[in-house]
Parts: sequence; C-alpha cells; structure tokens
Amino acid sequence: MDVTQYLEIFLDETKEHLQTLSDQFMILEQEPENMDTINEIFRSAHTLKGMAGTMGYKRMQNLTHDMENVFSEVRNNTIKVDGNMVDLLFQCLDALEEYTENIAASSDEGDNDNEHLIKALNDYLEGKTQASAKEAQPKAEEPEAKEESAEAQDEAAEDPSKEKWTAIKLGSTENTVLTEAVSQGKKVFGVTVYVQESCILKAARAFLVFKAIEELGEIIVSVPSAQDIEDEKFEFDFSMIVITDSDADAVKKAVMNVSEIEAAYVGPIQIEAPKKEAEKQTQKAVAQTAAEGGAKNAPADKKAVGKPIVNRTVRVDIEKLDVLMNLVSELIIAKNSLVSASAQEGMETSGAFNEQIEYLESVTTNLHESVMKVRMVPIENVVQKFPKMIRDLSKQLNKKITLKMSGEETELDRTVVDEIGDPLMHLLRNSADHGLETPDVRVQRGKPEEGTVFLNAYQDGNTVVIEVGDDGNGINVEAVKQKAIERGTITHEQAENMEDKDIVNLLFLPSFSTAKQVTDISGRGVGLDVVKSKIESLSGEVDVKTKLGEGSTFTIRLPLTLAIIQALMVEIGGEKYAISLGSIQTIEDVAKSEVKLVENKEVMNLRGTVVPLIRMNKVLSIESTKSPDENLLVIIVKKGDKLAGLIVDELMGQQEIVIKSLGRYINKSKIISGATILGDGEVALILDTNALI
Amino acid sequence: MEEIMDLQQEEFDQVQYIVIRFGEEVFGIDIKYVDNIVRMQRITRVPNVAPHIKGVLNLRGEVIPVISLRIKMGLPEDEITKTTRIIIIKLESGESIGVLVDEVLEVIMLDHTQIEKVSYNSKESAGGSFLFGVGKDEERDRLISLLDIGATFGEKEGAPV
Repeated sequence: MDVTQYLEIFLDETKEHLQTLSDQFMILEQEPENMDTINEIFRSAHTLKGMAGTMGYKRMQNLTHDMENVFSEVRNNTIKVDGNMVDLLFQCLDALEEYTENIAASSDEGDNDNEHLIKALNDYLEGKTQASAKEAQPKAEEPEAKEESAEAQDEAAEDPSKEKWTAIKLGSTENTVLTEAVSQGKKVFGVTVYVQESCILKAARAFLVFKAIEELGEIIVSVPSAQDIEDEKFEFDFSMIVITDSDADAVKKAVMNVSEIEAAYVGPIQIEAPKKEAEKQTQKAVAQTAAEGGAKNAPADKKAVGKPIVNRTVRVDIEKLDVLMNLVSELIIAKNSLVSASAQEGMETSGAFNEQIEYLESVTTNLHESVMKVRMVPIENVVQKFPKMIRDLSKQLNKKITLKMSGEETELDRTVVDEIGDPLMHLLRNSADHGLETPDVRVQRGKPEEGTVFLNAYQDGNTVVIEVGDDGNGINVEAVKQKAIERGTITHEQAENMEDKDIVNLLFLPSFSTAKQVTDISGRGVGLDVVKSKIESLSGEVDVKTKLGEGSTFTIRLPLTLAIIQALMVEIGGEKYAISLGSIQTIEDVAKSEVKLVENKEVMNLRGTVVPLIRMNKVLSIESTKSPDENLLVIIVKKGDKLAGLIVDELMGQQEIVIKSLGRYINKSKIISGATILGDGEVALILDTNALI
Repeated sequence: MEEIMDLQQEEFDQVQYIVIRFGEEVFGIDIKYVDNIVRMQRITRVPNVAPHIKGVLNLRGEVIPVISLRIKMGLPEDEITKTTRIIIIKLESGESIGVLVDEVLEVIMLDHTQIEKVSYNSKESAGGSFLFGVGKDEERDRLISLLDIGATFGEKEGAPV
C-alpha cells in the first residue's frame, strides 16, 4: 500500500514519542517504581510499534514490540526495573533513533536488526518466566491478537448496539444491487470496525481494513463515506455493507488481522425483497439514523466546541511562513518608499496624508512583529535532548554530572533554533569533558563529587542570551598561553602583553584544543572555532568567562530575528551603508587633535577607554568625501566587551531595514553581511561590524 | 543526462538566441536562460570583490549581482551608453545574475546545421572558453559567438581580491 503520504506524520509523531520515551526513561532511572512513568513508557512503545507496523518498518516494530512486552511485565510487577535495564532501554532508544533517521533520510529503516538488544530484552522476559513459570510469555503477536478477537466476540455478544451497520440506510440502487447479489448466491454482511482509541494513523488503518475486505468482496456502501474516512473524519468506528463469497468469520478475521483494530462486528443483512417494504424499511432506517445521528451529533458538537481549548495550534509548513515573512518585507520596503516619496517630492502633503502614512507605519511594524512571533519557537525542542546526552556522557566519562537547565521556554526564530543545537551540544560536551574534573579531584578540592553543568536561556532586550557552563576546573590561562606560543599562534612578547581575556579567546581560533587527551567526546581540534563561526553566521556572538578552579561560562547572544532589523544609515565616500543599531554603542563627534597614534594605529580616548579607530573609507576602498581637517564622525560599535570606532562621512538616520542576501555568486566579502533595499529602490549594503573588530 | 537531452532537442528544434553586442563582436545567449532585459540602472558597488563584479541592483525586490562580461573576457571596460542593457540570466541553480551588454540587437533562430561547435581552448574570439559554438547567420552574413552559460557563470567566482 502507498503510505508515503503518511511518512511525514509518521516521522513527526515518532520523534515525539521517542522524546517522551527519553524523558520517561530519565525519570524511571530516578524512580524505578513510578507507575505513571511505566504506563507512559508502555503506551509510547505500544504506539510506536503500531505506527512502525502500519508503515511496514518491521525491524522497528520488532524492537518496540519487545520493549512493550518487557514493560507489560513491569506493569504487572513481575519484572523490576534496575540500572542495567535503564541502560538497555537507552540503547534501544538509540537504535530506534537510528531507524528513524534512516527512514527520514531514505524512507527505509536500514538493515540493522539490533538482535543483541532484542535478545537482551527477551532475557528479561525469560528471567521473569523462570521466576513465575506458570504462564508462558507470548513471544509473537498472534496469541495476543487472538485474545483480543476473543474478547471482541464476547463483547459483541454482550452489546448488540455496537453493530452500527444496522443503522446504515440503503438507497434503492443499493437495494437492487444487494438483492441481485443475494439472488446470485452471494452473501451480504454488515461490518462495523472499531479502531483502538490510541491509534494514531486512523485513516491508514481504515485504508488497510478496506483493502483487506476488498480482497474478499465488494464494499457497497460505507458510513462515513470513503472520502471522509480518508480525511480522518470519523471517531473510532466505521461501518460498511459488503458483498462477498466468504463467510462472516473470514471477513472478521481479515479485519482483525490489521493491527490496532479494537473490534469488528460482522452480521448478515436481511434484504427486503418487496419494494414497498424496502422503502418502509429505508424510511425507518432514515428515522433511526436521524434520531441516532441527532443523539450522536449533540455530544460531537459539544466536543467540537470543547476541542479548541485543548488544541489551539496549527502546524504550518515553515516555507509558508517564509513566504509570509517575505511579503511583509516587501510591504515594509513599499512603505519606506512611500515615506521617502512623501518627504522628498515636496508633494502637497496634507495633514491627513501624513496621518495615514503614520498609521500605515504602525500597522506594518505590528504586522512584522506578529509574523516574527509566529516564527518563534521555544528552544525547548533543541535542549530537551540534552539530559539524555549528559547522562550518556556521565557514564562514558565516569563522572557524576547533573545538568541544570532553565529558560527552556525562551523563544527564538525558527531558523535560529534549527541551527543552534549543534553549537550548544558542543559546548555542553566541552564542559562535561574538559570543564569538570574527575570525581576524586573534585573531592580533593573540597567540591561536591557531583559536577554541575548548566544551560540558562533568557531574553535580554532584543537578544536572547544562552549561557552554558560548569563548576569545574575553569580554563587554565597559562596552559592556553603556552600552547599558543608552541603553535606559533602568538609570540612570547605578544603573550606578555595580552590580557587573560584575550588569551582565553584564542580558544576560538581554528584547531585549538587544550585537552591533554583527545577523547571521542570533544577535543578533536574542531571545537570552539566551529561553534564560534556557527553562532556568527546567525549574527550572534559568543564569549567566555572563566575562573581557574571555579568553572567557566560560555555566553551566546543571538538576535531575536534575522530578517528585519533597525539600522543606522550612514554615508561613506558617497555610498550608503547600513549598520545594525544593536551593535552601536554611541556616536561621537571627535576633533582631529583627539586622535592619537598607538603602535602606528589610530585610537581615541573615549571617557577613559582607549578605542581603536577604523577608517571605513579605507576598509571599503573608496575616497572619503570629507576634508582631512574636519571633525571626525565616529560610530562606537561593540562586540562583546570590545569597542571600536568606525569613522564615517555622514549620518543619514535610523531606519527599519529588510535584510536580503547578496546571493552565492558574490562570495560574501567579509565585512558585508547582506544588502537591503532603500525607499527609493536603491540597494544599500549592510556592514558587519563584528567582522571589523 | 540533461546534456544528452539538450543535444537531442537541438537536433530537432531550432533554438532562439538573443543577440547582443560587445564592441564590434556579436554574441548569442540561449533564450531559455534569459529572465529579463532591463535598462541600465543604479548599481551599488560591493567593496573588495573581483573586478568583473560591478555590484548589485534591485530587481523587483531581489538583490541581484551584476557582472561585466567585458572585463571577464579581457575586453576594455564597459562604456555606459544609451543602448547599454542589463540581461538578467537565470542560472540552473536558480540564482539570477545581471550581465552588462553594450546593446541588445535582436532574437534569431538557429538550428543545429547553422551552429559549429568550437573546442574549449579556442582563442579565436575574445570570448575564448566561454563559447560552445559559433552560429552562422546567413541572412545578415555574420558569425555569432554563442555563450556557454554554464561555463561562463557556473564556476565559483568573486572571491575577494
């Protein structure tokens, strides 16, 4: 069957369930007897099994099946959870994640059977069987299915009202078809199928049921209609009238062979041969259905009203949001042109016109903010996988580590969140591996044996700050210095004059790892420089603070959004450039005499701080329009703790600008981070001040 | 595969070329690459890039790089005149590039019998390795150098100098 249309849903749901499992395993490790957790794990494993089965991923299904079996025993208190078991479960989780990744990449689960895991799981089951040898544990699904069907039959006997097919109303054409079929010696059955309430892909199940029945005969009519069933417009049951050569049991068996089917009710239908009676019957049926429908509709309506409160979110393709964002960008550009047109042309600008322009401005700004908010997602999606990672690390490294996280609800632009995972993971690994001391060293130093790694996120004005750090050893500045000299990164003299802070920043240079031992966790020399370049590609910055013996903290600052920023427009050599307002500290008017030379470089004294000056016209290779005697216009920009003064020719004012890429064809020159379109249609380049400092 | 299909197509169909002029020499660009032809407009210089990249322009809200084929081919620098146009070319990668040309002349149809393939190291014309063939326009009795868009713009370029 064609399940590709469900693949995306399958992947989404699987990831959610794997996350649930991961979270619950963590809890289970702490509280091995927490019944809620055990039940939750059982449910997730069960659902995963069902979903994998539907999609035809047999290996994944087998593994989850065995996990489910183990947990069904845990639930019955016949097996106790212990540390080894949790380890095993985490391994299973890794295996499941691998399957999922394979499926996401190639829609094939791969051919790793993970037999050792299945065997280990079964060992638990056998251990249990030995302990209480009275009942043999079913090792495959069939007995279970039989049990279920037996149950179902019992229920059927008890509760005839479940045979909803009796309520199906037959039109005259259908009646004719049925009568004809009966006259040909075929059998006519009504079938009502109940899908398990935990079933995720109801429509896919229904599809399988339809397919199974169509192999035996012909479906004349179904309630709800086939289209509605395909669109998942049904609760948990659907009914149909079937013409077949087989008997009722065969039909029932075919339906029950589809997994996640709660029950199936099959019964013969009486065809009223005389037409009048048939009509009467139909009318009766109509009345009945109407009555029943009415009764059914009432609660359904209630549910529909109640539903939005539980589920008020909509999944939207990120591309659609990108389109929306682009349109908003266009609108802002159009608004900017309108503003500049009304200001320039000396138009007869009436008060009303200006008022409307102002109104338009506020609407577009609000619109932009709203769209931006829609694109924001909590970093939770990224950080929730870290507890498990730290747990694994703690086993691998033989260190006791607790991870403290706060501010998981902090929101960032979706594109940023997607990219931020790897750098954060790297920093955490770094902290766990290099930062934290081994337990005996910690005890020697009078610290608690258990090391702490933390991740704090919070919003600070227009930026989001994420701090990652540890209470470990801190960075040994001397060691870094020695290494830098060894590698020829800096000279002895330079090292003498460098502040500790600058030396620590050497760690962000490519191929600089101070770990004495290269482990497979971090320390492969592709460390912090990758983190830094990634963060900078997101227009963010990363900084480190450390105290020897007390730990270190990496601080990442990211802009809330990437697409639209407030910028200061400046003129340099007659060309217009934009500088992000976020990086600007102050703007100074500096007399020529205040510029001093230090090591042949121009600097100025800004209220006690020596700030290096950068002549932008030189950087941009263009002639300045100002005469050398005039006062200098200096824009003080900051990057972390560092300041620099950019000398520009003119200030043009503040503006909301839409960032556009320069495209791949122009290999981004380092100092230009993008371009924007001004109100008059001209393109202005955006200066990347971070690259200048 | 695509190439083979292109070749097959050329054998049966006539291909339309936009004929442009650099100085005295005429060139042809396969019309399927041409997205738009615009008049000369303000180009924003991008500092510190290769000399043949003239800058960027705004085409209906998109920022598009503009390059000078003249500089790329080693001809004297473009003189901006009334006839100067920017041809917006859409590359197979989906990106757009603007190309400065002295003049756009017309559109002609050529079939494969009218095109003579040249080898890549041909140095006969200024275009050199940017050509894939020479079209014979019998009507006007002239030769049209046909630009190989892939070879001209496909490679990675514009590294800071």
